[in-house]
Amino acid sequence: MASTGVVAALQAALAAENAAVFGYGVAGAHLTGSSQAAAEQDWTGHNQARDALAAMISARGAVPAAAQAYYQLPFRVHDASSAIRLAAYLEDGVTRAYLGLVAVSDQRLRRFGALAMQDAAQQAASWRGSTLAFPGLSLLAGQAFVTLAPEAKAELAGTG
Amino acid sequence: MLLASAAALPLLLGAAGCRSSDVFTGPDPLAGRPPLGHDVLTLQAVIAAEENMIDLYQLAISGDSGTSRARTLRSLLGQHQQHLVQLKARLILPRGVRGDGRSPHARGGSGGGRPPRGSTVSIARLRAAERASAADLVRRLATAPPALAQLLASIAASDATHVTALGG
Repeated sequence: MASTGVVAALQAALAAENAAVFGYGVAGAHLTGSSQAAAEQDWTGHNQARDALAAMISARGAVPAAAQAYYQLPFRVHDASSAIRLAAYLEDGVTRAYLGLVAVSDQRLRRFGALAMQDAAQQAASWRGSTLAFPGLSLLAGQAFVTLAPEAKAELAGTG
Repeated sequence: MLLASAAALPLLLGAAGCRSSDVFTGPDPLAGRPPLGHDVLTLQAVIAAEENMIDLYQLAISGDSGTSRARTLRSLLGQHQQHLVQLKARLILPRGVRGDGRSPHARGGSGGGRPPRGSTVSIARLRAAERASAADLVRRLATAPPALAQLLASIAASDATHVTALGG
């Protein structure tokens, strides 16, 4: 992929990070306790990722796309349950966005994108309470969720 | 002479003082089967490792059926089986190259190889195998064709979520 392709892939990841920063601001307002703390931590992480991507784009002589003033939410967020769904939705979007970087020819960027996908997929799984067979890929039919029952989580955490 | 078989062609060419590469342009048809491409070798190695991971899960479940932990492990196993289906669907081997049954290659490092029959598999071992698999896939995707790299990255991300699901 040429340099323009690299910048486009970086811009796509930046757009997803900007959306996540906005979205976590909305989600966090409906959460309390440990969920709110987790949302704040994720918000901070996405801010840092946004800054890193903006610097990478600037270093390639391009202008990082600015965040939008407002983002259309995928559904109404009015309580903790919908806020948690939004957090998972945002992380899925970030995972998908970094997939573009994995297809560029620069091997370091591929690795960067793949590791960012892992972070986002783990956050998504944590919010959703379930894992996916193919995070970030929507072309594969029959995507199966693994839902972790609370007792299974406790059992797994306590064994080694 | 015209009825000479292809097998006799090197002798005929040799007698005429020329090599097959002097006659043909492009790949030498007499040089044997060309080596498998890098992406094919990558796929074969990843498939072998996925099969080893499936073995590990099956062994872990076999001594622990019926518990909620076993149900979770079965679900994670199901996702590995999905990985295997997608990986195998992308493996196109030339005629004559063994592609049926279990993959002959073993991937070093990630799953630690197939567990011996009758051994037990701890959750810690599954976690370590998932973590190693995610790292190995990221290493391999660096030189893979773009579409395969994206599939490997997605599977690596799935494996990373499994580490968390296993309490890591």
